[in-house]
Amino acid sequence: MITLRGLTKRFGATVAVDALTVDIAPGRVTGFLGPNGAGKSTTMRMILGLDRPTSGTALVDGRSYRELRRPLHEVGALLDARAVHPARSGRAHLLAMARSNGISARRVDEVLDTVGLDGSAAAKPGRTLSLGMGQRLGIAGALLGDPPVLMFDEPVNGLDPDGVRWVRHLLRSLAGQGRTVFVSSHLMSEMQLTADQLVVIGRGRLLADAPVGDVIAGSGQAVRVRSPHPEGLATLAARLGAHGAIVEPAGPDELTVTGTTVDRIGDLAYELGVRLHELSPHGASLEQAFMELTADSVEYAGGPTGGDAR
Amino acid sequence: MSTQTVVGSRPTVAPALSAPAAFRAAVAAEWTKLVSVRSTWWTMLAGLLVMAASAGQLAIYAANANTNDDPADNPGIVAVGSVLIDAVELTQYAVLALGLLAITTEFTSGTIRTTLQCTPARGRVLLAKAVVAGAVTFVLGLLLGGVGALVARPVLGEWGSAPTAGTIGDIVAVATYLALVSVLALGLGAALRSAVLTIVVLFATLMIVPLSLQEPDIAVLNRIADAFPGVAGGHFMAGDTDPYPGAVGLLVLVGWAGAALLLGRAALRRRDA
Repeated sequence: MITLRGLTKRFGATVAVDALTVDIAPGRVTGFLGPNGAGKSTTMRMILGLDRPTSGTALVDGRSYRELRRPLHEVGALLDARAVHPARSGRAHLLAMARSNGISARRVDEVLDTVGLDGSAAAKPGRTLSLGMGQRLGIAGALLGDPPVLMFDEPVNGLDPDGVRWVRHLLRSLAGQGRTVFVSSHLMSEMQLTADQLVVIGRGRLLADAPVGDVIAGSGQAVRVRSPHPEGLATLAARLGAHGAIVEPAGPDELTVTGTTVDRIGDLAYELGVRLHELSPHGASLEQAFMELTADSVEYAGGPTGGDAR
Repeated sequence: MSTQTVVGSRPTVAPALSAPAAFRAAVAAEWTKLVSVRSTWWTMLAGLLVMAASAGQLAIYAANANTNDDPADNPGIVAVGSVLIDAVELTQYAVLALGLLAITTEFTSGTIRTTLQCTPARGRVLLAKAVVAGAVTFVLGLLLGGVGALVARPVLGEWGSAPTAGTIGDIVAVATYLALVSVLALGLGAALRSAVLTIVVLFATLMIVPLSLQEPDIAVLNRIADAFPGVAGGHFMAGDTDPYPGAVGLLVLVGWAGAALLLGRAALRRRDA
C-alpha cells in the first residue's frame, strides 16, 4: 500500500505535484497516467525519498522510505533504465544493490534469469546496454528483494512487442500475488490492457482515481455505424437524436455516434429493421478518455509558463 | 523468463537489519562498486607511475644538489622518507580520484538514485564510501610508499639513508595522509557533485591558497596557511614540532576530512537526488 497525503512539490515557482492524496492498493495494477511534465516521475521520486516533498507525506506501508533499513525488501522500483555506471557490468550493478540489502549473489542470477538477461548480456558494461536491456536490468533490480510494493516508471519504453507482452504478464502476476503494483506509462492502449485502477494527474493535480472501466465509461465513447440503406440510416439517426445521443454523419452510408452505447444502437436498428454492415466502438477509448481528462492541463503545460516538471 | 519460479508466490517479510549490519552491507556494496569499474585500477596505476617518477626526480635533484658547484644548496644525507613525503605533493592528485570518483560518477551516471534507493540513510551511504575509499587509498598509499622508496634509494646512492623504522613510519604517514585526502575529496564531491569543480576546489585548498598565503612570509599569513589540510598534512608527515606537533597536523587533517563528510551528508539530505 502506498499512501499519499497532500503530497506537494514545488520547484521555484513551478508546482510539479499539487496536493496529491491517493491510496495505491495492493493486489492490483494501478496505472499512473498524465501528460509529459505532469509530475509522475517526481511523485515516484518522492515516494522513494529521493526528492523531498515541499509539504505532505508519501508513505509505503505506513512508513517513510528514508526510515527503511532494508528497502529493497519493501519497495522495488525501476525509475531510470539509463542509470547504470557506463563501465560497470549489469551483473555487478545488481550485485552491489543486493549486497547493500544483505541479498545473496544467487538471487542476482535468479532475477537476471527472470528478466531474460543471459550471462553475456549481464557481463556487458552499462554504456553498451540498449534501452531494452536497461529496462530488463532495472526490472531485475526492482525484483531483487522480492518486495510487496513495486513501482515502475515507463517500464515498456524501448522493449520489443515480445518484451511489452512479457512486462504486461509480469505486472499482472505480481498484482495477482497480492503485491502493490504502481506503473506509469504514456501508452494508453498498454495501460488499458494492464491496469485495473488508474490514477490520472495533470499539472500535478489528481484528475481521476478510478477503475479503468469507469474512466473509459466516463468519456463519450464514439460508435461507428454503417448501413447500405441511406433512408434507414437517416431514420436511425433521428431516433438516436431523440434519445439524446449525438449523431454526426461521417459519409453517405456512415454515422459517428457518441453519448450512447453499442448495445443501445444495435437494439434500435433491430427495432427499426435497418440493415447494418458495421457497428463498432471507435478509437482507443482510454486514449480518448485521457485526452478529455487532461485537455486543460495539456493546454497549460504547452504555454510559456509551463515547464518540464524537472 | 518465467515469473512464477523466481518471484515468490507471496511477498515475504525479510528480517530487519541491525544498524551495524546495515552499515556492513553498505560497505560491501561500495566495495563491489569500486572494484567493478576499470577506472579504479587506472587510478592506482596512475598513482604508482606518478609516485615512481616524482620520487625518482626528487632523488636526482637531491643527489645533484650535493654534487654541484654550489655548496649553499647541499642537503647532505637525505632520508628516503622525506623524498616520499615531497613526492606526495604531486601524487595525491592522482590518488584522490579514488574518493572523488566514488561519488561524482554516481551523479553523472544517475546511479546515485539507485544507491539511495538501496541505502536511504544518507550518512550511512557516505560513511560506507569513506571507509571503502579511505581503506583502499591507505593500502595503495603503503604500496606507493614502498615503490617510491625502492626508486629513490638507489638514485640517492651515497647521499641517501633509509633507516628501516623511520622509512616504514614515513610510508605509513604518507598512506594515512593520502587516505584522509581521499575522504576529503569524497565529502567535497558529495557536496559539489561535479568532479571538475571538486578538483578545482581541492587544488585551491591543498596547494594554491596556502602557497599564496606563504609567499610573502608574513607570520600571521603563515599561521593561517598552517590550518590548511595540505600544509597540516605536510607537518604531520614530516613529524614537525613547529608550528605544532605532527599529531596536531594529523588532527587538523582529520578535522578537514570529517567536516567535508558532514558537508556532503547535509547536501545529500537536503538536495533532491
